[in-house]
This record gives sequence, structure tokens and C-alpha cells, in this order.
Amino acid sequence: MWSEKYRPKEPDELIGNEEARIALSLWLSKWEPGTKAALLVGPPGTGKTTFVTLLAKSTGMNLVDLNASDVRTKDKLQKRMGEAMATVSLFGERSLIFLDEVDGLAGRADIGAVEFIKESVKESQNPIVMAANDPDSDEIKKLTSSCVSVRFRPPPPREVEMYLREVARGEGLAVEEEELRGFVIDAAGDVRQAINLLQGSQQASPGKEDTRGRYKDRDRTESEALNGFFGATDKPEAMAALRALSMSPFEKVREVHRSVVKSGLPAPEMARALDAVSRADVLIGKMMKGGDWRLLRYLDRIFVEELYPVVRGKAVKYTGQDDLPFPMMARVWNDSKKIREVSLRYATRAHTSGMSARSQDLPYVFALCSKKKFREELEHSLGLDVDKDVLESYDKFLTKEAAR
Amino acid sequence: MERKKVIVGGWFDLPRLGTDVFSALVRRNGVVYDKSTGFKFDASTDLPGAVRTLRSAGVEVELALRCFLCGKEACTGCPYLASCDRTSVSTLCLCADHAPEKSVFGEYTETFDVILKS
Repeated sequence: MWSEKYRPKEPDELIGNEEARIALSLWLSKWEPGTKAALLVGPPGTGKTTFVTLLAKSTGMNLVDLNASDVRTKDKLQKRMGEAMATVSLFGERSLIFLDEVDGLAGRADIGAVEFIKESVKESQNPIVMAANDPDSDEIKKLTSSCVSVRFRPPPPREVEMYLREVARGEGLAVEEEELRGFVIDAAGDVRQAINLLQGSQQASPGKEDTRGRYKDRDRTESEALNGFFGATDKPEAMAALRALSMSPFEKVREVHRSVVKSGLPAPEMARALDAVSRADVLIGKMMKGGDWRLLRYLDRIFVEELYPVVRGKAVKYTGQDDLPFPMMARVWNDSKKIREVSLRYATRAHTSGMSARSQDLPYVFALCSKKKFREELEHSLGLDVDKDVLESYDKFLTKEAAR
Repeated sequence: MERKKVIVGGWFDLPRLGTDVFSALVRRNGVVYDKSTGFKFDASTDLPGAVRTLRSAGVEVELALRCFLCGKEACTGCPYLASCDRTSVSTLCLCADHAPEKSVFGEYTETFDVILKS
């Protein structure tokens, strides 16, 4: 991938956020114990993580990279950060502690984590940099007083064009100005996407000249982009089509799912295709629950690597947002509503989170529901037996889940 | 509605808009204020918020960015003027004299290093 090949290797090779990068570099050069931490705030894909990684490398510091979405409790943070905070090498070399996605610290499980970070900042023998996507989250507001806040924003189009021209020069390409600007506009500040669009356009097979400029029209419809994915001749083209799709991740998964379900693929292929879509759906769920926005980068890859090989050359088409047949929609809707309800009730009873209940416990609980006695006890325990109709509907649902 | 062109990083003045608007701009939106030079939007300003606050006070702001390489206003003659949301992109850009087609990437990285070392 050109986006990997032309990934910046030095802090000065990044584009955009010049003032933020300079401010952070100066903060690090002047850092001494007791200095406030740095908090980088900005949307995903603006270069926060890349810059911190390159900054650590260029200053010869060891980067201790933690993701707050994975290390969510005070105890875990203490365990992972504690040693890194207190340790300085024999020669006085420091580590740079990078706590990414701090706005992922949310909910009951994270009690004490934010306070621990605030205390750590005061005591740390090594500089701490944090990154977050949402400047308005409660966790960020709590952290602001102990941090020097630096905003990261997408680079302006002219700078994206400058970088894209550098890539084109590196690849020895002569790209038309209008086409290049089309990629810049379509990428909307995402340099990686701009590079992918450039690569996708150049890798379209000979004789498919029309494809080359297909995605440069900003007003292209969602239908063109999605059908571009389903009808792509190779993976780069499929990736370029997906990247050009201006839908939210949820909509993307929903519309791909809709297209697959309506396609009439043979059963084994349908199963494989739906499996890929479900993995994408799980990814979005994880991203939302844990606030781990970095996972978003894998969404298109799942579609291209797992779904595209299954649907390639098959009659899968996106026909707009017309609804699925009602019985199917009703089943999907009812089941997901029941799973949510059961998981929340179970979570309260089992003193766990809804997410843990859904992902870890319920598959086993549902399997045990094949035994009538267990099912009845569960229904009673979760308070599903207060109403006869409700009980009947949940009983049917649990029986069906047990039979899967 | 009064229209006002504001260059991000440059000082500008505003008519008297009242304590609430002033307070919202300076405290909530992070607009820099100096009694002698006026107001300034910088990299830490909540630009969409500041523009919204001023619009609600009857001032329509037209934002412009400065060139990272020479400090001149960068937006004049920019081919992306219509599609660029200047409240959401980073606050420095490239002017027509340092346009991307002039292969300025080398100059761009050098300038970054020079600023950092100075």
C-alpha cells in the first residue's frame, strides 16, 4: 500500500497541525518532573498517534504506548503505567508514556482511572502524553486542569495536495491536476484516504479508463460507490470505492448487510458473506463501547479482505435504502431488542457490564436454555415472567437461541 | 448582519457586543484578547464555536488561513476555497506563491525544522 510506503518517517514529514506539532515538540524539550502532561485532542486520522510515535523516535525516547480503552481500570493502569512512570535509565534517558483514547475511559468499570491519571501526572518521572477524539467528553474535561491541551485538526486541502504530489512524484506519475484535486476533496482531510484514492485510480486495469475517474465526482451517489465495491475487479479498486463512500460506519455496515441479504447468494456463500459483515458489525460495536476509534481503520479492510473475495463477480447489488422484506426486518429488530434487554437484566443480576454479558456470558447461558428448567429459572431470575405475553415471547426467543 | 474577514493568527477588532458574548468568546471558545491589539483566533481556539458565537451576535465571520511558509494570507485564489471548511482544518496552509504544484514539500519540512530549532 502506498499509504504505508509513504508514511512519514520524521516528525517534520507530517502535514497540517504545524502549531500543534511545534507546541508539543517544545513541551517535550522543556519537560521536567512536575510539568503538566500534554493532551492531544482531535478527530481520528489527524496524526496524533503518528506524531507522538515519530517524536519519541526522533528524540531517542522509549515509547510506552498504552490504549486507555484496553487499560480501563485504576488497577490495570497502575500496573501498566506505574513502572514506566517511575523508571529512568541509568544514563538518565526517559521514556515517553503515551496514553491513547483517554476519552474511552467511561462507565462504571473506570472509577478511579481518571483520578489516577491526574495524580500520576504530578509524580511521573517521565513525560505523559494523552490523546482523545472528543474534546467535550466528561473524562477530557476532568483531565484538562492537569494538562497542556493541544488541538489536532485535519490538514487543509492544499497541504494534502502537496503530499499527494510528493507521492505521485515518488511513483513517477503524471496525474492530471483536476483528478488530483478531486482526490483531495474526496479525502476530506484524510491523507491516507487521498493516497489510497490515488493508488486505486492508478491500479485500475488497462481498458477500464472509466473507472480511473469514477470516484472523483463528489456528488457521486452512495449507490455508485457501493456498487463500485461489489463490482470492483480487484482489491485496490474495492478499497478505493469503499473509501470514497461518504457514509457513517454504521450506515456502511447496515447498507452492505442489506445488499448481501437481498442478493440471493447461494447459502454457503451467503453464510461466509454474512460472517464477514457480522465481524464488521462486532468491530463497530467494540469501537463504540470502548471508545477505541482506532479500530475504524480496520472496517474497510474487513470488507475488502473478507467480504470482497466472497461477493466478487456475484450478483450483489446495492439498490438504495429500500427496506428488506418486512418479516426479515421484524425478526432482526425483535431479536436485537430482546438480546439487549436480556443482556442488561443479566448484567444487573451478575454484576457485570451489558457488553461483557452479551459477549462473554450469554452465548453459554443461551446454550443452557435448551433445558426447560434452567430456562424457566432464568426467566424468573431476570424478571421476564411478570407478564404472560412477555414471558411467552421471551420463552420462544430463548428456545430459538438455544437451538442455534 | 455585519461581515468580518478574520485571518486565523492575526489580530482583529470587534464592535462592542456585550459582556455575555465577550465572555463566551474568551472563556468558552478560547479566543485570545488583548486590550491594546484586540482579538485573535489561534490554534487552540474552538473555531466553530467562536464563529457560531459571533454569528449569534450579528457578526458573520469569513475565516482565512495564513501561509505556513511566508505568513501571507493563504486563501486568496485557492482552488479549494468552496470546499474547505476553515473552521475545522488546521490553522496554517499554503499561499498561491507556495502552491503545491511548485513542489514545496522540501521547503515545508525545512521550515518546520527551522522554526523548531529557533
